[in-house]
Amino acid sequence: MSATRLRRILTPVAVVAMGFGLVVTSLTAGSASASTSPKAGVPGVTAHSITIGGTEPLTGIASSGYNEVSEAANAVFKWVNSHPSMHAYVHNRTINYDIIDDCYATPGFGCTGNSNELHDTDTLISKPVFATFGSLGTPTQAPMRAVLRAAKVPQLLVNSPSIDFNCGVAHAKNTQPYSQYEGCGAVKGSTKSAVFPNTFGFQTSYPAESMILGQYIKHNYASKKVCFLGQDDDFGHDGEIGLTYEGIHPAIADYYNLTLLVLDGASSITPYITAFSSAHCTLVYVDGIPGAVAAALGNANALTYTPQWVISSVGSDPQTLAGLLGAGAPLEKGAITFAPLPSTTDSNPWNAWDHLVLKADPQPKYWGTVTNATLLNGNEAIGIAEGVAFVEALHAAGATFTRASFVADLLKDTFQTPGLTPLKYTAANHQGLIGGYVSIVSATGVTTGRTSPAPGVDGQKKVYVTTGTKGAKVTLSHRVSTTVPAWLR
Amino acid sequence: MDAFLTSRNVSDILHGLVNGVVFGLVGLGLVLIWRATRVLNFALGAMATGGAYLGLGLLSYQVPFWWCFLLAIPAGMLLGGLTERFLVRPLYGKPEINPIVAMVGLLILIEAVVGSIWGTRQRSVLPPFSYVDFHLGANVVQLSPLAVFQVTAAVVLALAIGALFRFTNLGLQLRASAVAPEVSRLLGVRVSRMLTLGWMLACGVAAVAAVIVSSGFISGLTPSGMEGPFAAGFIAAAVGGLESPTGALVGGVSLGILESFVTDYWNPNLVLPVSLLVLVVVLMVRPHGLFTRQVVRRV
Amino acid sequence: MSTTEPRASHEAASLAGPPRRRGAVREIARRVASAVVQGRRRHPVLSRLLVTVLAVCVALVVTGLVSGVTDLDLATGAAMSIVILGLSFLTGFSGQVSLGNGAFFGVGCYVFAIFANHNNTSIGEDLLVCTAAGALAGLIVGLPATRLRGPYLAGMTIAVAIAFGSLIDQFSTWTNGDQGLNVQSPVTPPAWLANFIGAPISSLRATYMWRADITVVVAGIAFFLMANLFQSRRGRSMRLMRENEVAAELVGVSLPAARVTAFVVAAACAGLGGGLTTLVDTTVFGSLFSLSLSIQILTLLVIGGIGTLSGSLIGGLLYAYSITWIAELVSGIGLNSTSNLSSEMNNIIFGALLVITVLVAPLGIAGTLRFAISRRLAGRRSQN
Repeated sequence: MSATRLRRILTPVAVVAMGFGLVVTSLTAGSASASTSPKAGVPGVTAHSITIGGTEPLTGIASSGYNEVSEAANAVFKWVNSHPSMHAYVHNRTINYDIIDDCYATPGFGCTGNSNELHDTDTLISKPVFATFGSLGTPTQAPMRAVLRAAKVPQLLVNSPSIDFNCGVAHAKNTQPYSQYEGCGAVKGSTKSAVFPNTFGFQTSYPAESMILGQYIKHNYASKKVCFLGQDDDFGHDGEIGLTYEGIHPAIADYYNLTLLVLDGASSITPYITAFSSAHCTLVYVDGIPGAVAAALGNANALTYTPQWVISSVGSDPQTLAGLLGAGAPLEKGAITFAPLPSTTDSNPWNAWDHLVLKADPQPKYWGTVTNATLLNGNEAIGIAEGVAFVEALHAAGATFTRASFVADLLKDTFQTPGLTPLKYTAANHQGLIGGYVSIVSATGVTTGRTSPAPGVDGQKKVYVTTGTKGAKVTLSHRVSTTVPAWLR
Repeated sequence: MDAFLTSRNVSDILHGLVNGVVFGLVGLGLVLIWRATRVLNFALGAMATGGAYLGLGLLSYQVPFWWCFLLAIPAGMLLGGLTERFLVRPLYGKPEINPIVAMVGLLILIEAVVGSIWGTRQRSVLPPFSYVDFHLGANVVQLSPLAVFQVTAAVVLALAIGALFRFTNLGLQLRASAVAPEVSRLLGVRVSRMLTLGWMLACGVAAVAAVIVSSGFISGLTPSGMEGPFAAGFIAAAVGGLESPTGALVGGVSLGILESFVTDYWNPNLVLPVSLLVLVVVLMVRPHGLFTRQVVRRV
Repeated sequence: MSTTEPRASHEAASLAGPPRRRGAVREIARRVASAVVQGRRRHPVLSRLLVTVLAVCVALVVTGLVSGVTDLDLATGAAMSIVILGLSFLTGFSGQVSLGNGAFFGVGCYVFAIFANHNNTSIGEDLLVCTAAGALAGLIVGLPATRLRGPYLAGMTIAVAIAFGSLIDQFSTWTNGDQGLNVQSPVTPPAWLANFIGAPISSLRATYMWRADITVVVAGIAFFLMANLFQSRRGRSMRLMRENEVAAELVGVSLPAARVTAFVVAAACAGLGGGLTTLVDTTVFGSLFSLSLSIQILTLLVIGGIGTLSGSLIGGLLYAYSITWIAELVSGIGLNSTSNLSSEMNNIIFGALLVITVLVAPLGIAGTLRFAISRRLAGRRSQN
């Protein structure tokens, strides 16, 4: 037998052998997940427990900071599970939170999870979980809306301010939930509306936040020339739309590319800041992640360019910025920002309770040892707020419930949460929180990161609310959740 | 004069200089290795990062900046020497693709090892120079003390390498080993040692480039942070013809300035596509670059 | 089959019956093997078709047996194996290395998403369009390959891979910038399939199985076509080009044309694999297509085995399952899963494997196995 002939024979043999190898691997891999067949009754719920799950960036490109959110929510569940009175409050069910690392659906950058979002979501569905809860990210979760809808699994309290998760009913074309991005459109640019009745957001939407900040700018900085820098996705674009709803039309509106920011760091932001400086803009509004905000502040400092900064809540967390800016941390001083939750630097009841919960977590993962003096960051606060919201919803659902009745009860009740505005879902509003404080990053800068009441509008610590839709008003409200409810103490 | 120095075009040129010298140094490293061993070192960026991290890792032990800066160079050289000796040498005479793949493997490995020790978060090392640009009256000249330091360091290094090759006996041996290894061996030059040394010099040079990148304000170094500068450095070296150190340096600085203009007048997204276009056009017209004479392909 | 079958049936026979049947079984196996050899020699295309159909059928049955998650992984691996196969042809036959195939893959992903969202076309048309788009991108990048050689070309493709991310954002009106694109289920499973597995049409189980089935069939077609290309006269003359360019020119290979062809074929495969991946994942966004994806494709190719069909399948399989395996390894050896070391374990293992493969077994898994088997056979023959 000649070598070439042998090779010709062996090629298909090897291919077939590989095929069988594939079969064997698949079967073994398949049997593991297939063995957990759904039990009768409500999936993920027994008389003594409820299992929910989330896909989270525990490692990889977005993990820094964001890996704490779901773990902080889980700390709330552990707290509730371990206190008999609270356990009784949720009808004696132990809450199991199954966190899967999806690396923000992006391979590389130190990702140890499976970055295929569909794989991770399907793993949760087939577990089965009662619902997904607090899964993080717009690009990761928006495609999962249809998947979870098909599986009849509720998608609860998605961790994203995007309006993509506010699609409880059909919306007319060209209303806010479409924006120029996909939103609730069936696909980008489509005239058909997609409806996701079991999908719920939690955070104040991008346009609502920029409307509230926009109104503040209108009242206090009417004479300033505004430039806008946004992330090139719905964060930036819907944010800018919110400003225009308030009659603020930036002289320059630029959008940075997240991929370039990750690749080139601060230098990818340089051209925008140079342009703003050359155009003599006296107010710069940034809808960006902390990395972009730090780059913007640093680049402006290099040019000795000192506009009034207005920074979205996503990018303004002083603790996170301090880590990025190092010695340049005081640059954020005086920036106007937005806060949907009570400040982690104030002495307020919720802040004290947050400390209690994190201190009690038997396996603290990301926040190290918490003492009363530890300064919590925005990611931990938002995770805790979501955890509390779920516990309240579980109480409201009653001793027996189904997925359908749980969602129906979610629409019926108003929840306190640590949020500054009530959490009140309606059929037409699945967004979640609807407002918060306007605050100023304080003079002491990084180490304390104190926020103080916004001067000008009313001089008091007041909460502003809006639905964030075209034609909506920004109205003055008051903080709802000033104390920790008795059942949580 | 003031108006000239603060004009838009001069600002762009000054702004492009820092990137330009980084590209030039990476290109220089590529040329040194290519001339000596006919290997295009795809891992050069990662090796530079490795050297820089080894040096800069000391910063967390309160070692002063200057020591870290200086230590990054021998760290890079060590990596280069080890790579040549144990990874590249067994592959001489093998098909052209083998060293390429081996270098890609090394690229993955070094980035991963660096990441496993120091994490993937950006690390910046602020040197004792301000990054705030100079002022001329009310206007800003887009040049900071930090940038002056970065450019100076690169120029001094390039001159030192040039002097080594031109004026020393060692440099003569290095050049001879690269150009005519057989003859050099007959004349008593330890060619294999020279090849190792060539790799060491190249990686030392590249480590300085990585240190310059890491010393920029909040644009510090990540394990994969030299991928972009590597691509640009390669383009610079290839435009210059892969054989010419001067070509690589000139190419690098020109590319840095070109990128600055593209960013300012056009769009930051088009920086790499435009650089690529330059590379393709130059190589289509002169396949062996602008700075080398055409050589007949050997069979 | 001439190698593995007799041994396997030998053991089966010794377990099943008295030793005197051994000879008969061996004889049957020998006849089957020789029939295959004869068939292959007389009708190479037909026998390749048979093998492909057999493999695809087996895979289709498998997709019906396993869970939805596994179907998803299977489809992911099958789609990636097409991408690797394309690079296998480029590298194994023309001797060029491309570190930019992740970009061609990305072109396929985006074109599929945009085309499927804007047109009410069948999945077949969508896949043809993304394959063509990949090929076009390959032609554009490959044209300089007529004049550039080895390292120059490889370096240029690295720049292509890095530039791709900027280009996506440059065309953000189409690509939706950092937001990425969603594809609204371009296929729905047919009723008979849903009935067959006893799950509703809208269920994930039926959806994933159908997507996996489409991917497997398309992968089968791609492998069949590529197998014919590998063995064609043109393919073999190109293989010569890798060994010795001057010799290849002497036997009439036009080097520039062959180089560009190889690039176009590789890019078309990458485009097709990208389209299938988008069909399976229903979402595309920019950060997926970093340089590390291109590097990963090359890594999987080299470890699997350059220039072989089976090597590409191994590569695809590794792509789909290595994350799970390495995660299990990490937890198995008791590492904290969020530590820096376990974060990089994937790359440490693949980087080390790549270096070791080049130094010790440059033929990759498939090539080395084949070499070992043929040596063993040769040894056995000489004993006879």
